[in-house]
Amino acid sequence: MRGKLWSTLTAYALAAVLLLMLSHALLRLLPGDFVSAHWERGDALLDADQAAALRERFGTEESFSGYLSALARGDWGCSLALEKPVLDLITEALPWTLLLMGSAHLLATALGFIAGMEVAWRRGSPLEKGSVAVMSLLDGVPELVSGLLLLLFFSLRLEWLPASGAQTAYAELAGGAWFADLLRHLALPLLTLVLADLPGNFLLARGSMLLVLDAPYLETAQAKGLPPWRVRYRHGARNALLPLVTRFGLRFSLMVTGALVVETLFAYPGLARLLVEAVGRRDLPLARGIILFSSLAVLVLNLGVELLYRRLDPRVCHGH
Amino acid sequence: MMRVACLLLFLGLLPGLRSAEADPPAAVGRSAAPPVEELRIADERGDHGPPNPFRHYPRGSGFVRMSWIFDTLIWKDRDGPVPALAQFWNWNKAKTACTFELHPEARWHDGCPLTADDVAFSIDYYRRHPYVWADVSVVRRVEVRDARRVTLHLAHPYAPFLAEIGGSLPILPRHIWEGVDDPLAFAVPEAFVGSGPYRFRDFDEVRGSYLFEAFADYYQGSPRVKRLIYLRSTNPLISLANGQADLAAIRPEMAEPLRRKGLTVIEERGGWVRKLMINHDKFPCSDRRFRQALAYAVDLGGLIAKSQRGFAVPASPGLLAPGHPFYNPSTPVYAHDPGRARALLAELGYRSDTAGVLRREGRALRLELISSSIAVAGGSGGDRDGLILKEQLEAIGIQVELRVLEQAAADQRLARGAFDLALSGQGGIGGDPKILNEMILPGPGGAFNSARFGKNPELVALLDEQLQAVDEDKRRALVFRIQELLAEELPTLPLYYPANLSAYRPEKGIDWYYSKSGLGKGVPIPQNKQALLP
Repeated sequence: MRGKLWSTLTAYALAAVLLLMLSHALLRLLPGDFVSAHWERGDALLDADQAAALRERFGTEESFSGYLSALARGDWGCSLALEKPVLDLITEALPWTLLLMGSAHLLATALGFIAGMEVAWRRGSPLEKGSVAVMSLLDGVPELVSGLLLLLFFSLRLEWLPASGAQTAYAELAGGAWFADLLRHLALPLLTLVLADLPGNFLLARGSMLLVLDAPYLETAQAKGLPPWRVRYRHGARNALLPLVTRFGLRFSLMVTGALVVETLFAYPGLARLLVEAVGRRDLPLARGIILFSSLAVLVLNLGVELLYRRLDPRVCHGH
Repeated sequence: MMRVACLLLFLGLLPGLRSAEADPPAAVGRSAAPPVEELRIADERGDHGPPNPFRHYPRGSGFVRMSWIFDTLIWKDRDGPVPALAQFWNWNKAKTACTFELHPEARWHDGCPLTADDVAFSIDYYRRHPYVWADVSVVRRVEVRDARRVTLHLAHPYAPFLAEIGGSLPILPRHIWEGVDDPLAFAVPEAFVGSGPYRFRDFDEVRGSYLFEAFADYYQGSPRVKRLIYLRSTNPLISLANGQADLAAIRPEMAEPLRRKGLTVIEERGGWVRKLMINHDKFPCSDRRFRQALAYAVDLGGLIAKSQRGFAVPASPGLLAPGHPFYNPSTPVYAHDPGRARALLAELGYRSDTAGVLRREGRALRLELISSSIAVAGGSGGDRDGLILKEQLEAIGIQVELRVLEQAAADQRLARGAFDLALSGQGGIGGDPKILNEMILPGPGGAFNSARFGKNPELVALLDEQLQAVDEDKRRALVFRIQELLAEELPTLPLYYPANLSAYRPEKGIDWYYSKSGLGKGVPIPQNKQALLP
């Protein structure tokens, strides 16, 4: 078992090295550079000398070994456009993405799980049929469309919620007012993500639960006279949980790319929005840093899910 | 895509809005209006760079944010130039020296008085560290006459002097900048000490927000709005409609619904042009007749109807728009005439084959067209232009390979000259006609999307000459002829001037407007500090 764990860890380490090599090489293939994207596209009157001086200043040529050595020292470079250390920018933006994506995933998983369990338990009922139809339909609606509809209804028509940002700029709020402002800004992007994620979780949880409903151990549990909710959750749901955990891990590992549409649509100041802007401005160090960070996060989360799997299902450890 | 979808849904929802039928509040007179606590301006991009002369984003939007903090010698109101730091200015007879008399109350945000030394220092500093929006090389010498009077001696008469150096060059505080060798790296709070109506308080580059605070000791009086806030909104229209923002640029389709909602809509045309770049270094584009054939082949009316839904006017081949003081109404135009286009192409040896494709020596006429999304103030728009032009050119037998690129990639191709045809756009054409030099001539001082056209000696000579023609009538005659030559040569094909609109909430009591000939060197943005002065 220990040997298998080591081979898993080695595979992840190799993947990490490959990611580092790709992160160093890939963005250099982008057409355009920071000077052309930032300066020459403007109304600036640059002569050849000025353009050359700017290119020298903002040039980002760096060998792979130099890149690795800098990373090892905790130096992820400095954003050309924002003039701040890349790690600082990532750590500033990460909490917003975690707040948005984390709460959306948790909410969508919890709601999907409970709804899936309850509906599967009532197999064949009109509630099951109706909810499956609604969720299947909802599953086909892209985030962009649901986000726009929510935005236009709650922000434009009802004027209840703000259209963009994570906080009211320079509002100087504190305590409860600050928290309420935070929630008001979070509501629409969160709801968009929950609506996007919930149907998949619901359908998966329901399908998974349907598979275990006929299992003999559930009959045994019922025969023992256990309360229905205990049969459902202690004995049924636990065994139906694995696919949902896998999905949770996979979806969570898409933290940055999964937030691209929503963070852009609602101007939410998270990592995805930062990445979109960095690529548009050819801010190579920042784009590279975010991609590397999110790629490594995917690896770590996948590894975590794998280890959690072993704990939830001992058959995984024993190679069955 | 996101914006278009948003717009369509917005248009569908707006008629049902609660306050849709409310009458617009009466306009409030500037002098009678009470002070405003806070005013919010929304835009999509958010980050336009730190607002100082060396670090702002080199587009009009960056210049405007910087202009709240840093004053120039001259500024513009609704109708044109007005005194700013300079109360008065006068020329010598030969128009080679201009003396500015500074406002006696002018002072820096840190309380130090602003003097003629600061002006002299600024010119000298920009000589060493050029400001990318104005060229001070024409100033031969600066003479400080006393604390309030300074004379700039020019190497030769220079017609754009007042617009470029007087109206675009931010004056720097000597006591702060004289020890700074690397202005790009100078990021301490003192780098934002100016003499404008607002003090810099904060810039959050990640969230794209700015906070400016009124400078109570401003020499023209304390501004009426105490806090000025810029915020990023992916949907400025919605932010405007639901009260999160007080001023934002809008799409033309939104004008009527927003007016019904009680907002004031203002419009400008002719400050920005969508154009077709033609690579005149490559055959057949190198032949003037071919460029003229392209002009005849393009149906500007159809392009505007489909691409801009009618909210634009066809551009003059001479680049300057009707309404510009130097616009030549006699500039030849190219009405849509496929027959003329085919005849000109026939002169070049192109004949249609049975499939209608033009061929010369057996080879089909095939061009690559680069298209990217670009609009006023660095925004995006005109997404369908490439497709429409491809259809129009293919209708006369020119095979077009359309390549839609992201803007930075497209700009890179333009800067390298690696294209046949390319869609681009530019602002600043409502300002001084020096823009013609910048957008036509090759060599230093040209923008990346300059035509870099130096093949017509008369045109080159006239462009040089107009810069030194300080007599306005003489300059107008030169610029008129330049436009005629441009229309004949067509180094680029101007396509249309899109409608440029903004909307604001009148209940704040601020009367926003587009300045005639744009801010600074021709920025078509209505965020004019003059509008906030008492």
